[in-house]
Amino acid sequence: MTLDRKITPPFHTIEKLSFPSYQIVEINKGLNLYALRAGTQAVIRLDLIFDAGLISQIQIAQANFTSSMLSEGTKSKNALELAESLDYFGSYFQTRAHADDAVATLYCLEKHLDKCLPIFLEALTASVFPEKELDIQKKNSLSKLLVNEKKNSYLCKKSYYQKIYGNTHPYAAFISKEDIQQINKNTLETFYQQYYLSGLKYVMLSGEFNTDKINLVSQAIKNSGLQKNENTSCELTIESNPGNYFIEKSDSVQSAVRMGKLSIGRNHTDFRKLQFLNLIFGGYFGSRLMKNIREDKGLTYGIYSVLEPNLNGSSWYIDTDINTKNRETGIAEIYKEIEKIKAEPIPQNELETAKNYYLGSFLKSLDGPFSLADRLKIIIDNKLSDSYYPEFVSILNETTSASLQDLANKYFDTENIVEVVVGKK
Amino acid sequence: MIQYNTFQLNNGLNVIHHHDNSTQLCALNILYKVGSRNEDPTKTGFAHLFEHLMFGGSENIPEFDLALQTAGGESNAFTSNDITNYYVTLPANNIETGFWLESDRMLSLDFSEKSLSVQRNVVIEEFKERYLNQPYGDVWLRILPLAYKEHPYNWATIGKEISHIEHADLDQVKSFFFNFYAPNNAILVVAGNISLDETKRLCEKWFEPIPRRNTLIKPYPQEPKQTEARKEHVYSDVPVNMIVKAYHMGGRLDPDYYASDLLSDILGGGKSAAFYHKLVKEKRLFSELDTYISGDADPGLFLIEGKLSKGISFEVAESAILEELEAFKNQLVSEKVLTKVINKTETNIQFGDISLLNRAMKLAFAAFLGDINLANTEIDHYLAVKPETLQMIAKNMLVEENCSTLYYHAK
Repeated sequence: MTLDRKITPPFHTIEKLSFPSYQIVEINKGLNLYALRAGTQAVIRLDLIFDAGLISQIQIAQANFTSSMLSEGTKSKNALELAESLDYFGSYFQTRAHADDAVATLYCLEKHLDKCLPIFLEALTASVFPEKELDIQKKNSLSKLLVNEKKNSYLCKKSYYQKIYGNTHPYAAFISKEDIQQINKNTLETFYQQYYLSGLKYVMLSGEFNTDKINLVSQAIKNSGLQKNENTSCELTIESNPGNYFIEKSDSVQSAVRMGKLSIGRNHTDFRKLQFLNLIFGGYFGSRLMKNIREDKGLTYGIYSVLEPNLNGSSWYIDTDINTKNRETGIAEIYKEIEKIKAEPIPQNELETAKNYYLGSFLKSLDGPFSLADRLKIIIDNKLSDSYYPEFVSILNETTSASLQDLANKYFDTENIVEVVVGKK
Repeated sequence: MIQYNTFQLNNGLNVIHHHDNSTQLCALNILYKVGSRNEDPTKTGFAHLFEHLMFGGSENIPEFDLALQTAGGESNAFTSNDITNYYVTLPANNIETGFWLESDRMLSLDFSEKSLSVQRNVVIEEFKERYLNQPYGDVWLRILPLAYKEHPYNWATIGKEISHIEHADLDQVKSFFFNFYAPNNAILVVAGNISLDETKRLCEKWFEPIPRRNTLIKPYPQEPKQTEARKEHVYSDVPVNMIVKAYHMGGRLDPDYYASDLLSDILGGGKSAAFYHKLVKEKRLFSELDTYISGDADPGLFLIEGKLSKGISFEVAESAILEELEAFKNQLVSEKVLTKVINKTETNIQFGDISLLNRAMKLAFAAFLGDINLANTEIDHYLAVKPETLQMIAKNMLVEENCSTLYYHAK
């Protein structure tokens, strides 16, 4: 029998997604450890989530510097000794300040956890912010800032967030030279006391490990003296300044473009459906933006639309670096696509493809311990139920072209859009 | 330990099967033994441009991505100096779609003029976005021709210049395809929740009918030993000065490869490494200073790359690097430091192996190098490195006669 290659082999649609079970251990009153075991490699990721994100800072750069200075020395170990003691076991210690929180992460092999854990916790609980190390970090981040400010995409992103959330909103708190200069040991220590030592939100342990490790971690954190945050969240005001903004960079061969508007967060009933609509519009390689502006017209190497939900404000935007000569054509095409998805129902086959692709991508993101831990974090932060991801199956099955068109008209309205272009005139 | 089985189809396609029943996914990874080193020096960037065309429709399937996405799959690819690698992941029960798609584009592309013209533009935009419109983006485009005078590593995978991409035509596309994209010039890895029997059945069904082709891999010149220091100065609108030093090192199968890799980690990997600790922190000559290796199959490069602190001259910065290198040559590395970098390597390997796709790629690349077992024995090679070996390599390799230095001046 000859093989007919024109016929698609039969395939199955995904009918079920599952989120694995995990353990919740109460370390102290109201302070939880979430332990999620998955995978085949005996590796561990331990995340401590602190209330030390951009939203907590009263001075720009405070959150970033405090987080990056945690590895620069403790009461008993200087920066080099601290680095050496973890490096020796092949472990990594990373701290990052995000918009809504800060995360300190230890990566190590399961067999080294007992040796690495005390060092990791020492860095977090006995940090001393030495002047000399701070001075070096200030100089080096200034140097990095200068490089960033040469990048169109950086300038574009910065301007976009300032216009969409307002200059004083923490999500728009991009560091300037002056901000770096104003950072000192004192400002960091104050922030550290309040948002790290007394700002622990929860702990996540993920990877493949023996269950006795759960107790080991729980006890160690209990004894570390880290306190749960008791802060009540503050109300943040968003002051959007819609409009078109142009930043001239005369020497560039491409223009960075970002346009978007305020949108809804994960707890909104429309959110998951809107995420799906965004996927169709510009969220994957088969999306409308990619097909039209890259695959049909070749105007860019990449173009995406992103629905970015934060705890204190969300936005939906389109982001690309585009050929300067055809910039106006490209931008016009983006607006055309927005109008089209509002005016015409999405054809059934396009809907089916996107649905199958989306469910497939969930299957992938619910595979592997660290990817699962990332999903779990979203569930915890937004107080969602464990069925949040599995429910996508029924949500997508219920979604019709008509309901997506309604959503497009509700959320992709071009009034109040912020459009930023950085490039040659 | 990555378990695997291997077999070969009648048309010469080598297949590696890796079973993992802990996942609901399946991956197909196809490595074609062609990279930018196989390009004509006057038509560079072609292997990479060709990679883009592989998504532009094949003989029986007009839209590769559409067909894949409909079955819940994702795909991507990359081109290096040595290989072009394609991968697809799907829900395990839909893996036949992957076989259908990958075998059809191995059988024949539809060679469309439109796809070529669009992808030429996309790649030109990629060239601009990644290499021209970024501060220091062209460092790689400049260091390679300085370090390589004969070997085709002389140019970057993206190509020497945009005009080479602009001039690519459909005849070139066809002859490239029928020469290099042959079953007998590829390695297929099937990994995930799929049995060996099912793998064989699907391989025989979809790949075996593709005829073997006459693949001609033209010999290309090898790089003669460098005998004197090379230096180049560049002036550009960047905020701070940067120095790049590139030393020739052994290829992927060279017995000293692993030691050179560890050496780069000892000198510049992380906050406890000598470079960071002494030159960034103690002497404050650099704001960043890293070391890395290019990792090519043929003899590659060992690189030191640093951004200078404000007010520090190239002379001062460079002599400080050389001083550290001398110190290293004159004293055996301690067991403690060696254990540290080996432990780090072990962690990296373990973390890397979490991903099914990584495991599949690792198997494919090891088979490409000619020793599939390398996918599992890498760590033994690292463990076998002795302090004396490191010292000897440093003495032979890290000398100025073997080095190309790029001084990237802030205008």
